[in-house]
Amino acid sequence: MAITVDARGLSCPQPVLMTVTAIKSGGSDEITIMVDNETAKENVCRAAVGKGWTVANIRDETDGCGITIKKR
Amino acid sequence: MALFDFLKGSKGKKASPGPDGHCDRGILLFENTGEVIQAETILKREGWTIRVMGPPPEVRQGCDLVIEFPLIEQLDIMRTLEAEKLPPLRIVPVTSPLLQPVDIFHVKDFGEYLMVRAANMKLTIDKKTGVFVNISGGGCPDVPFLAASMVGRTIADAPSPRDIGHTLCGYALQLAYEEVKRRCSA
Repeated sequence: MAITVDARGLSCPQPVLMTVTAIKSGGSDEITIMVDNETAKENVCRAAVGKGWTVANIRDETDGCGITIKKR
Repeated sequence: MALFDFLKGSKGKKASPGPDGHCDRGILLFENTGEVIQAETILKREGWTIRVMGPPPEVRQGCDLVIEFPLIEQLDIMRTLEAEKLPPLRIVPVTSPLLQPVDIFHVKDFGEYLMVRAANMKLTIDKKTGVFVNISGGGCPDVPFLAASMVGRTIADAPSPRDIGHTLCGYALQLAYEEVKRRCSA
């Protein structure tokens, strides 16, 4: 089951730390991280790729964007 | 001069702090941060005990960084900087709390992670593994490159921002990097 991490309203490094923590938990092979600024988006994508995950989708929404990452 | 050096000891390069640690210091103000970086490099190379800090609230001149130095060495430091064609805008003795330079470091402990912010750059490390997990802040063109080069690597393996950075953000990141190293080795 996919996990959703809501990091909207938070500035880096918190969205990244939440992402890394979710990856480490091993609870799912698919995680969607909600962020609301460009820096968080870039940093979350970089962290996910650095952990061996792929960025499967980036979906822009009215109140931010959802980054879906998947385990390789 | 030799006698003066002898009286001061250690070739006049290291002044011991006064009893309160404040009245013996001064700050050098420069026009821009590029000059601060150059002056820091020169003064450290010459062996002076100095620190890059934020300007005190009372000082409304110069850039967002100042150099704190031992006031007793003012003449020699001025000679050094003038010889390098890098005279400061102004020298301010730290004579009151409102003239205290501000620490440019902000440290936040996230439990498993430690973040050090130096000026406009934030560097976060996994305390257990020593791996850099995030670099953010700045806005300079080399920040993505710095992040790509350092994130995911350990403090022992990652390149130093000084070696690969080319901007003020790289300089600030170097300060954060040195502070992280200091804290992780303590």
